[in-house]
Amino acid sequence: MRTADLIELLARDVRATPPGVVNRRLLAALAAGGLVTFAIVALGLRCQPLLAAAQQPWFWMKAVYTGLLTLAGAVIVRRLSVPGARLGAAPLVAVLVILAMLALAAAQILSTAPAGRLALWLGHTWKVCSPLILLLAVPIYACLVAAIRRLAPTRPALTGAAAGFAAGALAATLYGLHCPEQAAAFVATWYTLGIAAATALGALAGRRLLRW
Amino acid sequence: MPHQEETEERLRPLMIRSLEGDSAAHRQLLGVLGRYLRGYFGRRIGSATAEVEDLVQETLLAVHLKRDSYDRSLPFTPWAYALARYKLIDHFRRRNRSIQVPLEDAGALFAADDPEEGALRTDLDRLLQRLPDRQRSLIEDVKLQGLSVEEAAQKRGVTAVSARVMLHRSLKWLTQALRDENG
Repeated sequence: MRTADLIELLARDVRATPPGVVNRRLLAALAAGGLVTFAIVALGLRCQPLLAAAQQPWFWMKAVYTGLLTLAGAVIVRRLSVPGARLGAAPLVAVLVILAMLALAAAQILSTAPAGRLALWLGHTWKVCSPLILLLAVPIYACLVAAIRRLAPTRPALTGAAAGFAAGALAATLYGLHCPEQAAAFVATWYTLGIAAATALGALAGRRLLRW
Repeated sequence: MPHQEETEERLRPLMIRSLEGDSAAHRQLLGVLGRYLRGYFGRRIGSATAEVEDLVQETLLAVHLKRDSYDRSLPFTPWAYALARYKLIDHFRRRNRSIQVPLEDAGALFAADDPEEGALRTDLDRLLQRLPDRQRSLIEDVKLQGLSVEEAAQKRGVTAVSARVMLHRSLKWLTQALRDENG
């Protein structure tokens, strides 16, 4: 088939596309995956008493930290899902947010008596926190990748990493509805580790899944 | 670069009209892009190589199937260049050649065009033979006899909607098959 014939064929397959389809698909994926993860948190893990928790600053410290990372991650995914777009400031924002959290954690550790530091850092659930966040990220990652595959990422591994990061951050936000840990040192370590693991695995899977 | 601005001003309206469903604009856009792609790939992998035309066809299919990902508020030429560069990188990767493709200005794609169609390594007509009968005959009606999708649908006794879906699926399948064959 000559290229001219192919073009003729492609011209017969033209349908109008509404503007804004990229954002809609990605947001729908985040919503769908987030709903599945929320269901697992609410039905499987059980939420902590939310009315009481919502009056505590530590609850919002966690929500703001992981919420900001979700936002930055979503913007990065959006940028990487289409050819030729610039990355912009979102990666820098993510790094600054993580650094701010680490600084908060360090300040908390330093202001705690040495005997109490380990207990503060490990909390009661340090062994399950990161693995649970990683697990909860899977449905969100799967939905995101399905949406990105219909777009055109030109850097598959990096895009996979960004999808893993956004999925991990949203999973961590929803996990915060269950997790009763209160220390900044705990969140800065185990939440961040869970998100980092999702990012790394997201990159590995993205290398294979996001080629076209 | 004034030349590239001119290209941008010429192609972006075509792309927007194509996204609005204008098939004449789509045909014109793909025609122009095809010539630039041939020039670009020819400069990168050698214009005498039979792989150039395959890569042009593969990229045109990608432009067609991935055009949803173009954001109408952004310039068109960087989108087209990034897509062409991705296809070139993918081409080298699948041959296990570790050739670095420099990240250039979009002008690299639109520097010079080449209207002369080259030889094909993989013939799409041969790949088409592997499609199910209904899909293949639909494509043949449209391609060889120049029927519109509606006319072809009527001839084969299917609805226009399902004929459109069939055509679209066939094109997706063809893209994958072309990529696999040349991999």
